[in-house]
Amino acid sequence: MTIPILSLSLITLLVGTVACFAAGRWARYVALGTAVAFLVEIGWMISQFTWAGFGPTGVPSYSYGETYAWIHLYWLNINYSVGVDGLSLPLLLLTGILLLVTVVYSWEEKKRPSAWFALVLMTCLGCAGVFMALDVLLFFLFWELVLIPMFFMIAYWGGLRRRYAALKFFVYTHVGSIVMLVSLLVVAFYSHAPSFDFSAMYGPARALALVPQVFLFLAMLFGFGIKFPIVPFHTWLPDAHVEAPTGGSVLLAGLLLKLGAYGLIRWGLELLPQGLLHTQPIIFAVAFASIIWGAFVALGQRDLKRMVAYSSINHMGIVLLAIGLYSSLGITAAVLLMFAHGIVSALLFMVAGSTHHAFGTRDLATIRGITPKTPALATVTMVGALASLGLPALISFPAEFLALLATWDGIGYWVFVPLIMLVVTAGFYLWMMQRMLFGPTSGIPEDAHDLSQWEAAAMAMLVALTILYGVLPGLLTNVIIHSPLFGLP
Amino acid sequence: MNGITTALEFLPEILVLAGALLVLLLDVVGVRRLEAFGGVIVAAFGAALVAILADLSVAPFAGWSTLPAGSLDVGPVGGSLYAFTSFGLVFQGIFLSAALLVAVASLSRTSNEKGASVFYALLGIAALGMLLVAVSADLIFLLLSLEVTAISSYLLVGYTRRESRGLEAAMKFYIIGALSAALSFYGASLLYGAYGTTSLAVIGHSYPSGGLGPLAIVGYAFLFAGIGFEVTIVPFHAWAVDVYDGAPTDVSAFLAGGTKKVGLFAFFAVFLVPLLLIGGGAATASGSFRDSLQILIAVFAILTMTIGNVLALMQDNMKRMLAYSSISQAGYMLLGVAVATSAALTGATLQIFAHVLLKGGAFLVVAAAAGLGVGPMIADWKGFGHRRPVLGASFALMLLGLAGIPLTIGFVSKFILFAATVQAEGLFLWLAIAGLLNSALSVFYYARVLRTMYAESPEGALTPTEEVRGLAFDGLGLGRAVAIGAAVVAIVGFGVDPQPLVQVMQAAVQHFVTLGI
Repeated sequence: MTIPILSLSLITLLVGTVACFAAGRWARYVALGTAVAFLVEIGWMISQFTWAGFGPTGVPSYSYGETYAWIHLYWLNINYSVGVDGLSLPLLLLTGILLLVTVVYSWEEKKRPSAWFALVLMTCLGCAGVFMALDVLLFFLFWELVLIPMFFMIAYWGGLRRRYAALKFFVYTHVGSIVMLVSLLVVAFYSHAPSFDFSAMYGPARALALVPQVFLFLAMLFGFGIKFPIVPFHTWLPDAHVEAPTGGSVLLAGLLLKLGAYGLIRWGLELLPQGLLHTQPIIFAVAFASIIWGAFVALGQRDLKRMVAYSSINHMGIVLLAIGLYSSLGITAAVLLMFAHGIVSALLFMVAGSTHHAFGTRDLATIRGITPKTPALATVTMVGALASLGLPALISFPAEFLALLATWDGIGYWVFVPLIMLVVTAGFYLWMMQRMLFGPTSGIPEDAHDLSQWEAAAMAMLVALTILYGVLPGLLTNVIIHSPLFGLP
Repeated sequence: MNGITTALEFLPEILVLAGALLVLLLDVVGVRRLEAFGGVIVAAFGAALVAILADLSVAPFAGWSTLPAGSLDVGPVGGSLYAFTSFGLVFQGIFLSAALLVAVASLSRTSNEKGASVFYALLGIAALGMLLVAVSADLIFLLLSLEVTAISSYLLVGYTRRESRGLEAAMKFYIIGALSAALSFYGASLLYGAYGTTSLAVIGHSYPSGGLGPLAIVGYAFLFAGIGFEVTIVPFHAWAVDVYDGAPTDVSAFLAGGTKKVGLFAFFAVFLVPLLLIGGGAATASGSFRDSLQILIAVFAILTMTIGNVLALMQDNMKRMLAYSSISQAGYMLLGVAVATSAALTGATLQIFAHVLLKGGAFLVVAAAAGLGVGPMIADWKGFGHRRPVLGASFALMLLGLAGIPLTIGFVSKFILFAATVQAEGLFLWLAIAGLLNSALSVFYYARVLRTMYAESPEGALTPTEEVRGLAFDGLGLGRAVAIGAAVVAIVGFGVDPQPLVQVMQAAVQHFVTLGI
């Protein structure tokens, strides 16, 4: 008998969530245990992973697949259907890692810790479900499930304008979900797929005529794009990030943004390849706009957290660019970039959180030369900033290098757009380091303190991963290539 | 057909009527305890519900059916006033669930409350009218049954006689209701003039062959307006907010969860039959007529949900917000009529049941909270989620369900309804998009309440009213706790595994569509 490892890992998170609500002051131990168990399950999946290849009809099959009948009407067939491939496994690993570090980072959470940890677990449950689901309804269910805990995390644990930010986040992303849902339903019904199962939709969807494919893909680009977020639908992100508590920001940047990119690859690119190929100019225009806008606006920020948020828009623009290229190299780069951005942005949001914690402000114009006072914080800040600007031997470098290579392969000299923007990105991170870390100390309160042991532990894990995957990106690429997408040109 | 078999056919109706009469009898012999009246009615409703489930062959009650073999889903015999269809039975089940929820919750009220017997007797008679609506095969029988429900509802709104607001609401409700009844009956008389019969099936079937003369068109327009008042279709909605707001909150739960759904069933019975029949193999001329009728209903559906939502967005009062959201929900249910496929009708039926649990439950929580000292405004709910974690979480779950968030029945029902709308292709895609955008809009005001309940700190202490002091569950009372708990269990249970429910509903809808009654 094969172990239903995917359901098992979802159940782990579900049980953890419920247990946390009930566990009172022991919640953090429950959360830690759940996170470790989940990571072990993901690790087991990766270690045993062999991709099953294409089925007899040319439909890709998925590893650890499970399918159970769920809702069956004569016109509607919905299954509980899950499975993973090289595209989803790295993102599941990222989910596990970020769950663990978020739990550790917020170990000393004082405000309703049981609810906090339960919501953290619930967010990861939703994300993990999205990465595993192979049925439209199931996918949409997990997709929407993510909104609830994040809404409460921002609304209750957030900053001064949290109420506004939480509502804006909820409504923006909900509108995106709805457009996404309609396009998926249209794909399913208009292609006369026998069920809402991904495998059942795969053949019929690809056989759709060109015009519907193009319109449907554009609808998906909008629907998934709000989560990315793509310019001009990005305005919820800076607000949500700035007002979210640190743990919320970590999950928001590290995981929630990846949902959009993953969805676009899985349900957009795979089902409607012709739609993607014929909208490439639009995708590139949007991607370039996000890259340029994100970089320049980040340059003008005084608030450290806001700066990192805008740099996320820039990075996710590169992910969109890589997806739009429609090549094996591009997809590999996109997945690698998502993983790298997940780790690095998590690190940088922790830095922003700890900076606020230590100095009472994140204003880059106020705090200067923090290194003598808080050496540990300064060190991780430097690692995070260097990783984000793409220093070799750190995690972002192989990802960005691959993305640029794929861009060069795909669209030639246009590669200079992201390349030049990388210089701008490097510019604002260097400027930030120069002012914040080095030079004469000023604007730092007397009682400023360095990282707590839990904060330090969480960040140390991320720093270690940044270096590990920077030196050995093969650990990830070996998994990524085991997906149907690797057969692309 | 001898008398006893006929009586057995009407077993649920007889049980409910007997319950109501027994309550009045108990009052006459001097019983003054609310629990006694409530117990009788709850038992009657429960038994009737079991009888209905048995007739529908739902496990574990299958085999207890009291309907004579071969009398279900055969259509009206001759000029029969009534017919038993599984579609009607499903709706009877939905109506009784709403009534039962309210009856159980009301057990928590003060034991020696004045008018308790009147309340429970009226509830029983209203439920009787609802059950009769669902078996009618004749336009006049249908409208009379609607009146039975309507008249008891007017009385229910004003039965306390304590508050002027309740009396004002009852008065408003009565005047509007009388107008609506007049319109409906006038429309029915015109239809009788046009077709020479009041049988719903015969009228429906005359449509495609005989076409639609001016008399019939005016008749249908009057019926649309008359029943539109009951269903709160915009522009016939304005009364609902004042009435839901002014009525005792338990009664609001019954109005939003129960009586409004009766109007919807009447709407289905009057308008769906012709729509479905015209669709089936009729000439192209009537085909285009069907299209324009569908578009007309679709326009009303979109108007209803949009205006309901926009107005709900602007409310500061909790009950008024819920009332406007009820109006917008009626728009979703109309979608099923506009699309007029059995898939969409299944979705609409599920949505109606979901709304009973979600909106009925939400009003019950509001009633409980009012007893606990929470004021009528949304701002009075500040920090409620922290004051009363369990009750707050139940309310949050209901609001999330109304917003269509996963793992609630509201998610499944909206998904099936919108999937069916998309499946109908063509223009309906835009209808689905309009509906979904509305759904997104509605999230806004539900989320605002959640934000108030959880993100803001409580101000001052709550002062529970005299009546709830010393009740079980910290002032909630056993009845309310059971009713709210049952709603929560059903919301989540059917949200996770809707298959048993949708299967029954789909079978019933398919019978309805094939039979055309």
